[in-house]
Amino acid sequence: MIPVIFVLTLRQLLRQRRTLLLVLLAVLPVLLATLFRLTAEEVTPARFAANGLFAGFIVNLVLPLTALVVGTAALGQEIEDGTVVYLLGKPLPRWTIVIAKVAAAWMVTAAVVVACVVASGLIVLTGEEGYGLTLAFVVAVLAGSLTYSALFVGLSIRFGRALIIGLAYVFVWEALVSRFIPGVRFLSVRAYTLGVADGVTDVPARIFEASLSPRPAVLLITILTVLTTAYAIRRLNAYEVSERV
Amino acid sequence: MTATSQPAIEVAGVSRWYGNVVAVNDVTFSVQPGVTGLLGPNGAGKSTLLHMMAGFLRPSSGEVRILGESTWGRPDLYRRVGIVLEREAVYGGLTGYESVRVNARLHGLDNPHEAAMRAIELVDLGAAKDRRTGTYSKGMKQRIKIAAALVHDPAVLLLDEPFNGADPRQRLHLMDLLRQMAREGRAVMFSSHILEEMERLGDGVLVIVAGRLAASGDFRAIRRLMTDRPHEFLVESSDNRVLAQALLGDTAVSGASIEGDRLTVRTDDFTRFTEQLPRIAQAARVTVIGLSPLDESLESVFEYLVSR
Repeated sequence: MIPVIFVLTLRQLLRQRRTLLLVLLAVLPVLLATLFRLTAEEVTPARFAANGLFAGFIVNLVLPLTALVVGTAALGQEIEDGTVVYLLGKPLPRWTIVIAKVAAAWMVTAAVVVACVVASGLIVLTGEEGYGLTLAFVVAVLAGSLTYSALFVGLSIRFGRALIIGLAYVFVWEALVSRFIPGVRFLSVRAYTLGVADGVTDVPARIFEASLSPRPAVLLITILTVLTTAYAIRRLNAYEVSERV
Repeated sequence: MTATSQPAIEVAGVSRWYGNVVAVNDVTFSVQPGVTGLLGPNGAGKSTLLHMMAGFLRPSSGEVRILGESTWGRPDLYRRVGIVLEREAVYGGLTGYESVRVNARLHGLDNPHEAAMRAIELVDLGAAKDRRTGTYSKGMKQRIKIAAALVHDPAVLLLDEPFNGADPRQRLHLMDLLRQMAREGRAVMFSSHILEEMERLGDGVLVIVAGRLAASGDFRAIRRLMTDRPHEFLVESSDNRVLAQALLGDTAVSGASIEGDRLTVRTDDFTRFTEQLPRIAQAARVTVIGLSPLDESLESVFEYLVSR
């Protein structure tokens, strides 16, 4: 049944206007990359790609925003508009619904963000030092988008205002608090994602180095993905359909 | 479809509360195959009860069983249960056919296409099956929801206010359909706050008021109970004083009062009163200009049933 729910969710996500807005957001780094190619001279392409484009813009902004919008809509939208009863009123274990929803959210998020990384990487790094950065960040955003998707699907089951809570997590916790409290990197999908990229890339530390080293990053991102998925399943198992739904 | 020895639906001492608010209060009943109506005013707890029967809400106490199995946390039960909730929720981006077929596939049916087509024909939506459900009228959405609930040929059908939004022709068609399902041995339970829907469809009726089961049984007996309760009428006539005097001489009238130009008449025998009023007025040479019930709201009818 997972493929049926997966395809149904993809259709629902792809016809939403906000998904189109995300595509527009993903075009921004590509425009930045083009501008850099046309104008910048002081910064090396590899440093700009790693720190400005990939880590600074895509991992900080495009990835979490896309995952947030898609992840909270994948199941949250069905809870909000009441169509979730078509899934819950079927002879299916509820974990299959969660897995299908997380997979669909992951696929849409990854498609947007990976395309963004590849396109902007090609523009900035073709023929330059650090060409492997693109592949490293493709792997990293694939991992990051899975974790974010599981987290936001879980949030959308628990909270009616998951989008706002997710925004607070991304922009207050990950972006702001982590600046002042270094330990936050251990509780930040953004830091894990950068750690994964650091582990895959072969560029020297002067070009790119994540605040969290690769080994704990991979371990933590795996643990968080499993935990948030398990949490989402647990929440959906206990979920009651309100009469107002 | 179900063995007659085992009730299709059993509700045993079920209560449901939200914080301090009691939505359903210690309700017990059982239902056999056939059409059963759940009647009650808005906010009486009908939907809460249906949600618990559907396994979508966990009872705070007591147990709901369908075909002998507890409904909460038993997804396998949905192979034999079809559910239509009141909310107008459809997959707007899918056509009517696609959305029923998705439901068939989610049930794991061997031939989802055939099952979807059969269910769509049952609700008479064949002509609109290729239109997106987002463009459907309220009545069409209701029918496609019913088709989705019927696609796996369930033994028990639970419907919350199923006739909302349907025009009179569609309403009759749906009623015929539900009656036919009951004749085939299914248990069909539907909720409504409209007495006429119960009258046309419900073999048995459960009356829910303020979260409690106020009455249950044969609809005609309950209807009689509702009709034979004390009624109050406001009568306008050419001479209220003479008419009041004449009416008080009849056994159907238990009291009459005049305030200004208002004549209020109380009766314990609705049928006799409505038959006798024109005769009494004619004999007293009084012209009756108007007659209007003072307590005909469904709520007041229900309050009376609860007080008995």
